[in-house]
Amino acid sequence: MKTFRLILSLILVAVPGLNLVGCGPQAAAPTATPAPLPTLVMVANIDDVVTLDPHHAYETTNLMIHASTYDTLVEFKPSDLTRVAPRLADSWEVSPDGLTYTFHLHPGVKFSSGNPVTAEDVRFSWMRLKNIKDNPAFYADIISEVQVVDEATIKVTLTEPSPAFLSICAAPAMSIVDSKVVKEHGGTDAADADQTDKAKDWLDQHSAGSGPFIQVSWTPKAEIVLEANPNYWRGAPKLGRVVIKHVSDPTTVLQMLQRGDADLHDNLDPDLAEQARADPNLNVVIGQSLDQNYLAMTSNPDLSKPLADKRVRQAIALSVDYDGLIQALLRGYGSRAPSIIPLGILGVDPAMTQGRDLEKARALLKEAGYENGFTVDLAYGSNPTRETIAAKLKSDLAEVGITVNLKPMEQSVYLSEMRAQRLAFCFGGWTPDYLDPTMWTDYFSYHDRGIAKRMWYNNPEAEKYARIVGTELDPARREQAIKELQKVLMDDMPFTMLYQSQRIIVMNKAVQGFAYHPVQFVNFFDLSK
Amino acid sequence: MGLSVHIIRRLLLVIPMLIGITLLTFTVSHLVPADPLAVIVSEKALDQPDIVQAAIQKWGLDKSLPEQYLYYLWNLAHGDLGISFKTKRPVAQDLAQYLPATVELGLASLCFALVFGLPLGIMAAIKAGSGVDHLTRFISLLGASMPPFWSGLMALFVFYFKAQILPGPGRVDARLIMPPPITGLCLVDTLLVGDMNAFADALHHLILPSVILGWFTLALICRITRSSLLEVLRMDYIRTARAKGLHERVVLLRHALRNAFIPTLTMLGLAFAGLMTGAIMTETIFAWPGIGRYAVESAANLDYPAILGTTLLIAVIYIFINLLVDILYGVIDPRIREA
Repeated sequence: MKTFRLILSLILVAVPGLNLVGCGPQAAAPTATPAPLPTLVMVANIDDVVTLDPHHAYETTNLMIHASTYDTLVEFKPSDLTRVAPRLADSWEVSPDGLTYTFHLHPGVKFSSGNPVTAEDVRFSWMRLKNIKDNPAFYADIISEVQVVDEATIKVTLTEPSPAFLSICAAPAMSIVDSKVVKEHGGTDAADADQTDKAKDWLDQHSAGSGPFIQVSWTPKAEIVLEANPNYWRGAPKLGRVVIKHVSDPTTVLQMLQRGDADLHDNLDPDLAEQARADPNLNVVIGQSLDQNYLAMTSNPDLSKPLADKRVRQAIALSVDYDGLIQALLRGYGSRAPSIIPLGILGVDPAMTQGRDLEKARALLKEAGYENGFTVDLAYGSNPTRETIAAKLKSDLAEVGITVNLKPMEQSVYLSEMRAQRLAFCFGGWTPDYLDPTMWTDYFSYHDRGIAKRMWYNNPEAEKYARIVGTELDPARREQAIKELQKVLMDDMPFTMLYQSQRIIVMNKAVQGFAYHPVQFVNFFDLSK
Repeated sequence: MGLSVHIIRRLLLVIPMLIGITLLTFTVSHLVPADPLAVIVSEKALDQPDIVQAAIQKWGLDKSLPEQYLYYLWNLAHGDLGISFKTKRPVAQDLAQYLPATVELGLASLCFALVFGLPLGIMAAIKAGSGVDHLTRFISLLGASMPPFWSGLMALFVFYFKAQILPGPGRVDARLIMPPPITGLCLVDTLLVGDMNAFADALHHLILPSVILGWFTLALICRITRSSLLEVLRMDYIRTARAKGLHERVVLLRHALRNAFIPTLTMLGLAFAGLMTGAIMTETIFAWPGIGRYAVESAANLDYPAILGTTLLIAVIYIFINLLVDILYGVIDPRIREA
């Protein structure tokens, strides 16, 4: 008994004693020399990160990291998402046929290693991306040749004219890496780079860029640490250190923000938004994301005879209580675009969006011969959000006599079934990789590509307009094609949009300069504290 | 038969056992009607034949299932657990990354459960039917019936948010600059470099999750110790010991507890192995980068190499802890040693 009592008393003494040395920001950062610039702690779900090599990474969090650790040739500023702005490239020229782009690099820019940023680094970066053949390699598909003209000039030849090319150049996957440093760590841009490149392990833990921040470490599922690059060519960052810490539970996230243990969060649960707004120390910013959530209906009569009739698809689109769904699921923090191209993109007019109209829906069903309804299976990758959506769709469609059988699946099974074109009626999401309408028109219009293919959607009319969007260099004619394409899609109705989510961004009042970017969330260079 | 022969025989049995486990896991995970390509290659890259082809070749998906399995065994025999589909890093490296956090939390939980569970169980047995007994029963039932996703949130709310005496989720404070990992155990690493402030911070961060995770084990230890001790205390030899005039403490600790400890030890072995193999709920609530979250994600992503690697690791942990428990039986009870 004596030993037990001893241990017990030791613990009882030790635990309250610990409070003295305790945690919290006051007692923190004792090891390093006192940093003159503040540390920003962001809490987020960073479980998605599997690599931080910009030529391998294809998740979400890495976009934000790379936008701050690397530079791209051009960029979209949050203040104007429709116009490409210079970044590493001061200027560029496009040949009249739209096939050749010549970029002029900003003079005197250096990587954080001290090496100068040259045209050869641009060539190396893009060829490595292409030849590694991992998920983001498709960004470089449009590039047929990259030529180094001189130290500061680079000439890119495309396989076909592409109005999307500059938008692609702004994507974090097209970041310019320090070719000398990457080669030192086993990197290569050779044609067999998918077999021979060995730099990924190093690039997971370090950055080799010219961006405002330098990556110090990445502990998977725990944290990513960035440090300011004091020699950044656009000026020294106003933050000394950025720690992105993994916390997934929304209640805990809010508690950390309220206690001051965290400064910034990217996506608060809508249920907690009011609580965050009520806190005098917190600022809440609503960011309109470009993330689409669609309900897809097959055009293949072998999978579902009723759904293959476009009048039935139109009737279903008119039967969903979208406002009720956005209210129940997102507490109103959501909006809706007329078709697959989200609000905020060229040529998308919110006034075109169609809501619920049960009378019209019943009339259409009657016309198609289904006035007594029919039965259909609804497939989805199960998670709590999607279960709510599924239940809502089931009850909404029951009002027009359609019996929906819910078929929840493991996400991996759902993806496989969808890919095998076996699903008649399903819903999912779509997130853009770069800011161009082709991000949607390419994947939802061509009978042999993306989601359109998976749902057996085939209309030459839609393909005609999608091709104009993908190749026409004149913005006005492009915009016209987008408008026409939306009309075709809304008539055929292979997809109806459930909602376009909004981000509830919460930050400490001390954080200044925040500007939401729908692709990479934020550039930490803009922030101060 | 000597103890060493017994151990060697047990260790030799491990090999066929592990082969059986890999075969079972491999078969079961391939029963899922999903195509791993749909998980490995992104939706947008699925339309690019060269990317899809590179992925098929890289991950050996063009080979038949038996071939894939034999290939896995061959690599395993050479100590290679393969590359994870999802993280694209060696599975062994991933496991080495996540295991220390789990071990640290598991050991802390076990310490908490033992240090409080054993004395509580003993007290409950000695004073059976008294207020102390009822109190320990209440504490145990509370621990056994509260799910960690609830108790964890409540504990954070009370001790972190309201009372502000304990830190929030994570292994250390985000603003703290940690020394580079040596063993991966925060407590050990900070001690090795002599950073007492970071050590205190890491210890402080361990309190809530280890209490939440260890409470269930505490309940088991407490209840089993109580019931087996009660049984032993009714035995004739206890009466004899008391009749000899031995001090009550000697009767309790040397005569009664030693005999009553066998069932507790059996349960302890299983509970310890359970703690060492990750706890998804506690890890999620407390943002703890452990093996539990890795295992669940591997399964959800059809990451065969990671699923197999994690299963093997968990199997090895169970096998060795049970072996250890078997050896400890002999230490406690000489009759088992000789049998």
